[in-house]
Amino acid sequence: MSKNAVLFSICLVLFLPIFPFWPSAAAAEYDYNSNEFKEVISQLDMQGHANDDLAGCPVKQLYYEEVLEMLNDGMTGEEIIAYYVDQYGQAALKEPGLDAGGILAWVLPAAGLLAGGAVIWLWLKKRKGKRKAAIVQEVKWESETEKEIAFKIFDEERRKHF
Amino acid sequence: MYIVGNTALYAGLLMAAYGLAANFIGIKKNSARWLESARGAVLALVLLTSVASFLLFYLLGTGQFQYQYVASYTSENLPLIYKLTAFWAGNAGSLLLWLLLLCIFTGMVVFSKEKHNRMMPYVSIVLLLNILFFFIVITATSNPFEMTDTIPADGKGLNPMLQHPGMILHPVTLYLGYVGFAVPFAFAIAALILKRMDAEWIKLTRRWTLTAWLFLTLGNMIGGWWAYMELGWGGYWAWDPVENASFMPWLTATAFLHSVMIQERKGMLKIWNIVLVIVTYLLTIFGTFLVRSGILTSVHAFNDGTLGNYFLIFMVAMLLISIYVFITRYPLIRKETNPIESYFSKESSFLLNNLILVAGAFAVFWGTMYPLFSEALTGVKVNVGPPYFTKVMAPIMFALIVLMAVCPLIAWQKAKVKRFIKTGQWPFLAGLAAAAALVAAGVEGPFAIIGLGAAVFMFAVHVQEFMFGIRARRKVTKESMFSAAWKLMRKNQRRYGGYIVHIGVAVIAVGVIASHAYSDEMLTTLEKGETARIGDFALTFKGLSERMENGNGIVAADMDISYKGKSAGTVRPEKIFYSTWPEPSSEVAIKTVASQDLYVVLSTWENEDKATFQLKVNPFVSWIWIGGFIMVFGIIVALLGGKTRKLAAVSAVNPEFVKAGVSK
Repeated sequence: MSKNAVLFSICLVLFLPIFPFWPSAAAAEYDYNSNEFKEVISQLDMQGHANDDLAGCPVKQLYYEEVLEMLNDGMTGEEIIAYYVDQYGQAALKEPGLDAGGILAWVLPAAGLLAGGAVIWLWLKKRKGKRKAAIVQEVKWESETEKEIAFKIFDEERRKHF
Repeated sequence: MYIVGNTALYAGLLMAAYGLAANFIGIKKNSARWLESARGAVLALVLLTSVASFLLFYLLGTGQFQYQYVASYTSENLPLIYKLTAFWAGNAGSLLLWLLLLCIFTGMVVFSKEKHNRMMPYVSIVLLLNILFFFIVITATSNPFEMTDTIPADGKGLNPMLQHPGMILHPVTLYLGYVGFAVPFAFAIAALILKRMDAEWIKLTRRWTLTAWLFLTLGNMIGGWWAYMELGWGGYWAWDPVENASFMPWLTATAFLHSVMIQERKGMLKIWNIVLVIVTYLLTIFGTFLVRSGILTSVHAFNDGTLGNYFLIFMVAMLLISIYVFITRYPLIRKETNPIESYFSKESSFLLNNLILVAGAFAVFWGTMYPLFSEALTGVKVNVGPPYFTKVMAPIMFALIVLMAVCPLIAWQKAKVKRFIKTGQWPFLAGLAAAAALVAAGVEGPFAIIGLGAAVFMFAVHVQEFMFGIRARRKVTKESMFSAAWKLMRKNQRRYGGYIVHIGVAVIAVGVIASHAYSDEMLTTLEKGETARIGDFALTFKGLSERMENGNGIVAADMDISYKGKSAGTVRPEKIFYSTWPEPSSEVAIKTVASQDLYVVLSTWENEDKATFQLKVNPFVSWIWIGGFIMVFGIIVALLGGKTRKLAAVSAVNPEFVKAGVSK
């Protein structure tokens, strides 16, 4: 009995302070299951606590409480996001914005892909162009052995030179 | 014990330095004795690291709290299996594990049947450089055999999140992957030094590369499964910097596995393959640097600033060595002999595949490092989290799926459009039909539907490839269906193993897309007997119970589950209060019915009859694990087949090396 009682008392002390914020306690228009709430909360980094277990993270609980309160006070999702960006800068959100500090994050992967595509295109073009030259310069070997030996000699020569 | 452990480490340090010197002297003097001695040094290193590792296992298993490492990561009441897995719970132990694997791999390489290959002393040098670095780091900063000032009565215990079966497999498989990539890197550098730019080094390392890739795949899959089961947020991939660090080399290694086929078949992309192997290796070191430097916030990080500096210096040193060797050999390797016959060919599609994979790796790298770059360059602090990666990687992965669907339909050298359309029409229609069926069933989300359609297209292409192969065999041999399928696989294991891997990727793609687009979640407080509904599930709360286990207090919630009105059993989410850890830990309960995961987390409670739960329905997550198994099976099939062909003796034989016992 005593062990159980101690365990439950600890839990009550630990978790009771957050009960007012659970959905059953919220009598207002929005609760934690509202789409509007989920939409806003999914964008917030919550100072690196976004992926923490809600029950064990006071920082995340505080954000949940604040966002719900703001929604029930009549603020829109955009206004809440703007509020947090004003407070903490772009670091309040999980993704960079399209301003000077964030645009490179979005642009560079696409630019890299395009640049890589261009390099491949040019390389293919060059290789394909060589096809014609290769046809013109094609050597006829007397036998496979002759070809093999010649290639070995070419390879040795290349090694000597480089 | 203290003396044995430290002697093993310091003797290992000296032995690694000696092995390096012996190899250098052996090469310089063309001396078989010195080279043999260097091989002996590697064998000694395997023995020394094994002794150190067994000793650490023993200390952990028997609770020798006079050792700092044991006291920091274990406690009396910790189950034996977690006492042993605490080996890689901290910096010192995980570095020792890395070192042990590296020494074993080096031993396997230098004592392989290719031990007299002319490249081998150079390979040995590169691997010994890695070994020496790890010995220096361990002895200088992270010695697992350091003693405590006073012997504590009990240890601090293992982080509850690490007390999970994932801890047994995830770090080991990941390290096997990371360390494995050092071998193809070493061969590439050796080939460059010796100016041997034929495909020999690729053929010699094919199995090493595939094995490393297998373990990296396994490591990532197990990591995702572990996160899903343990962390309690309902996801399996958080795009955390450390997760990204293991994904980047996986992407570049995947590109390498495809592009080597072009070098083997056509003698092309020599430069590119070397670049990919170097980048993959450097990314494995970069990943370790990220984990240990603490420069980025991560749940996986060990967070030791000084250790990060060592890795940074080593990474830069290896990068400079690679660049130097590469540049000095560049005029030799830039020689390309074979022209491309057509833009529309398998060669071109492989190039596109490489572009997409490398662009993916770059996007992940850029996103991971951007917070640092941004703050350093503009002074603006930004976060780059999951929404960014989802937006950037989704189109890249979509392009990859489409390419994986199209690539098997394209012939080598020159593909014909007419034939391509003819062979591709049925799989394409299957994908289209799947998308149409989803729309007809009322499924929303155009991007997800397109993605799912593409995955079905890709799946159908590969099934069709198997059917074509079986039909072709049966036409000639008149075998039974089963016999034809079996022999088809046996005789073309590389090809069909690869196709099985692709099928696994299609299955994973369905899981990832569906779980991202169609998951649902809610937070609800229930009184005893009350029922909550989410998706097609209904959960009835039956009350809380408590018990003690291994000295830890456990509170469990019993819940009856029904799916579409029919009973689907019970779940029991728990909250565990560890005697050695300040915060309680959630034990998630998962019930899978009809490919939908009901994910239940016990958040908190008011009394025995009233508790709050986080509920999630994650559709098709189980497909991710099934796809992972299929992938692993496919890799094993490819790994066991495709014997390395007899290598053509392309270089002149050095008589001194023959005398020295080095035949090629």
